[in-house]
Amino acid sequence: MVKVIEKIQDTKRIINSIDFDAHWYRRVFHTFGASFLIYYMLPTDIHWINFLKSWIPIIIVNIAIVLEVLRLKGKINSDYFFGLRVYEKNRVGSYVFFGVAILILLRFFPQQIAIPCILCACIADPLMGEIRNRFGIKYVYIFGFVICMLFFMISWYKADIRLLLIASIFGAIGAVIGETKKFWWIDDDFMIQMVPAVMLFIIWISIPYLGFNYPDPIIYQGVIGV
Amino acid sequence: MEFIKKENNYSKLIRTEILFTPLLIILPITVSFLLIFDWYIRGFLENNTVMYNGELIIGVVILIVNFIFDIPFIKSLKAFSKKNG
Repeated sequence: MVKVIEKIQDTKRIINSIDFDAHWYRRVFHTFGASFLIYYMLPTDIHWINFLKSWIPIIIVNIAIVLEVLRLKGKINSDYFFGLRVYEKNRVGSYVFFGVAILILLRFFPQQIAIPCILCACIADPLMGEIRNRFGIKYVYIFGFVICMLFFMISWYKADIRLLLIASIFGAIGAVIGETKKFWWIDDDFMIQMVPAVMLFIIWISIPYLGFNYPDPIIYQGVIGV
Repeated sequence: MEFIKKENNYSKLIRTEILFTPLLIILPITVSFLLIFDWYIRGFLENNTVMYNGELIIGVVILIVNFIFDIPFIKSLKAFSKKNG
């Protein structure tokens, strides 16, 4: 009997260690997404770099989509997809939503919108997750709003102060809604990027009518003077 | 947070993780250093910091947050590797 209890405790400990491990793996996977900001540093006037810049993000996302389709069809074992959540077993994994949203932002939105939205998913999202785990859900809204607002302020600091405040407040509200409002059919990794992006895009096209100038970009092409 | 539990194949799990670990850790840190370096070269040395301060702040934020999450991740990975031989 004692041996059985020990065995059960051992198994529980192993399962818990996998939870912990997968937890940090997902966090690091999120922060890794910030690497895609290198997209804005690569010059467009060198043909082969421009070619790679245009196609590599599309290829990465398409590979992820193909892998996910194969996993859902059962052609690839889920064992190879470390850190999947239970609800992702029969649904598209969040990493695909994450990649698709980043791709849409990089390709179709100005960097003043794309950069803070990507940072919200890559940095604010895991930080909000940690806050939720340690302090509870009510602190997530406050902390999430503040951290997302900071990202929008950093990205719009060259804009008129009134425009900076409008963009930061609306962007942060959008990001917090995107992160906290859950749908079974779409992942919050997509929503945290696209909800503020759409809200900011409305502000972006309204800028001339509001009497402001478009803010300058944050990241400049031609890293280290290339 | 509930993850899909694997019944017995721990080595397969850890292999997937280890395969991606260098990329997951090194690439964001490299990008953050590039942003900071670009600020230093084109902003600080050319006395044009106002234009490049955004790059500096984004670079520093990415760097700090990566360290915050990388350290427990590597610790958990080490502990997990030890436990499973």
